[in-house]
Amino acid sequence: MAEPESNPFAQATVAVQNVHVRYRVPSTDAAERRRGANFVKRAARTVLGNDPKVLVRALSGISFVAKSGEQIGLVGQNGSGKSTLLRIIAGLENPARGRVLAESTPVLIGVNAALVPDLSGEQNIRLGCLAMGLSPEQAEEAVPDVKQLAGLGKSIYLPMKTYSSGMGARLRFAIATAANPHILLIDEALATGDAAFRERSEARMQRLRQGAGTVFLVSHAAQTIEESCTRAIWLNKGRLVLDGPAQDVALRYRKWAWAVAKDKPDEAKQIIEKAFSEREQTHVHVEDTKQPRQYTARHVRAPKNARPTAQRK
Amino acid sequence: MSAPVPPPQPSSSATSADVADLYKEIFTGQQAALEVVSTGRLSQVGARPPIGTYLKQLWGRRHFLWAEARAKVTSGTRETLLGQAWLVISPILNGLAYYLIFGLILNTSRGIENFLGYLVIGVFLFQFTTQCVTNGAKSIQSGRNLIRAFSFPRASLPISVVLRSMLNLVPTLAAMLLIIVLLPPAEAWTTASLLFPIVLVLQVMLATGLALLFARMTTVIPDLSQLLGVAMRIWLYASAVFFSIDRFAEYPSIVGIMEANPMFMVLDAARDCLLYATVPDAGTWIGLSAWSVGALVVGFLFFWQGEESYGRA
Ligand SMILES: Nc1ncnc2c1ncn2[C@@H]1O[C@H](COP(=O)(O)OP(=O)(O)OP(=O)(O)O)[C@@H](O)[C@H]1O
Ligand SMILES: [Mg+2]
Repeated sequence: MAEPESNPFAQATVAVQNVHVRYRVPSTDAAERRRGANFVKRAARTVLGNDPKVLVRALSGISFVAKSGEQIGLVGQNGSGKSTLLRIIAGLENPARGRVLAESTPVLIGVNAALVPDLSGEQNIRLGCLAMGLSPEQAEEAVPDVKQLAGLGKSIYLPMKTYSSGMGARLRFAIATAANPHILLIDEALATGDAAFRERSEARMQRLRQGAGTVFLVSHAAQTIEESCTRAIWLNKGRLVLDGPAQDVALRYRKWAWAVAKDKPDEAKQIIEKAFSEREQTHVHVEDTKQPRQYTARHVRAPKNARPTAQRK
Repeated sequence: MSAPVPPPQPSSSATSADVADLYKEIFTGQQAALEVVSTGRLSQVGARPPIGTYLKQLWGRRHFLWAEARAKVTSGTRETLLGQAWLVISPILNGLAYYLIFGLILNTSRGIENFLGYLVIGVFLFQFTTQCVTNGAKSIQSGRNLIRAFSFPRASLPISVVLRSMLNLVPTLAAMLLIIVLLPPAEAWTTASLLFPIVLVLQVMLATGLALLFARMTTVIPDLSQLLGVAMRIWLYASAVFFSIDRFAEYPSIVGIMEANPMFMVLDAARDCLLYATVPDAGTWIGLSAWSVGALVVGFLFFWQGEESYGRA
């Protein structure tokens, strides 16, 4: 640990502290219908046609800190909570427990966010730029750049609902990077792009990271993670399995996925348990520098020299 | 990167739960790393900003609001042959239909002087409120793509609905004024007509407040959107759109309720200004201002309080 005075944490861009996310969703499971409800409740459900609600734990106890210049890959099987984690980091949803701190507003590029399907790509560029808070002049300036990065040719003037999934992804990526966000969250958005676009988007992400930004990338291609990320996080059923160098995490994840695919549950379990036990648990401690309400008297506090008193800018 | 755990300093700002977790982890022997971040540099994502900041953010997005409203106002007529012309044609046709039925065929007046003008003012102005309230209530649901893609103050969505309805109102008002001035019995411009814009402003404030109010209420109780249609119809009848309040002269309690109804006040004041060349009385002004300002303030505060919940809708 570096000296407290030098403020070794100046580089942190995103801090995720013990985040839990739960959803209550209707289930058509017959066993669920019979369970735990008394006669009146069941009758009411039958009459109203409502299904009983079950609790889905999408994320439990996720903690990590992302630093500037990192490109973090998220791996995990379907439904393991990768997209949920990105939505939470982007602040589009709030966790049931825990919190997320970020240096600037993260920008998320999702799979299915058609912005306004009726509008042409060009109009969507303007609208998207304005939605991110650019002024009309800045948006106007950004348009040619975005058009060029998207590389859609004349299709940019067609309604967005007529786009193929790859075309939509290209446009969304181009719009999202128009404002040069410091924190970029990409949820499989590049998966449908062709080779030419992959090249260009790589270059763009590189540039963002060099500007002290952080990129999160969800991809099912472990190879992509290995090649382009500096660090990887493996999620399984909402839990953090492993957090470390991309090569190592991606390799273990691949082994695990292979074992699952080959129907070797014991081997898969072994791999995951090993990873669990070797994992370095991260605890994120948030130091509140501005907390007028929870002010504790001076004499109860820890001695001043014990921890760096972070200064507000 | 992550630092090994120094003898942890349970500083005063850590919650006791955090500290307990930390000790548990340390003593169960798993490796743990402590990351300290401070809220001086990082801020919580998705947190509801204080009301002043929120208003400022909203003002910062005014260009987005305007662009969104303008883009959507034409989206309903995009597929038609006449396109945007319908925005002007349809209110004129509506007005003519009323003229044909009530002015020429039925020739009823129900004891109302200039019944055509009375009816047209009632129908067109009430339609604006209906549009604002019902579309405002749906705005979070229908703006989900944008909510999932960008973080912006969510009040933008219901407010943009009101802006869109205002854009729709412009040709409608033109048609309304033409009917009043041109079709018999024609009315002349008077100085009282100059007060009409003030009535409109108050109506817009009322509608904005209600749009914000119902936007949040329907995210909490989705069933409300089903009830809203019925409620608006009842409100329509209670606002003396097609008939005169004099019908209820024998029932003072009904008259009292109707006169306290803000939409009745709007229509009454508008008719006074445009048809009867009288200045609306002080009671109407005071009552209407109280309703409008009250609705706007309550609606806005209520919506702002739920700011963190809309991502899940
Ligand atoms: N809005 C929601 N409502 C209810 N449940 C949800 C919601 N979003 C996610 N879930 C549940 O949370 C879990 C995690 O979902 P998530 O979309 O994060 O998975 P993922 O890792 O992105 O999967 P994939 O690789 O298929 O994209 C799933 O079990 C899913 O059913
Ligand atoms: Mg996903």
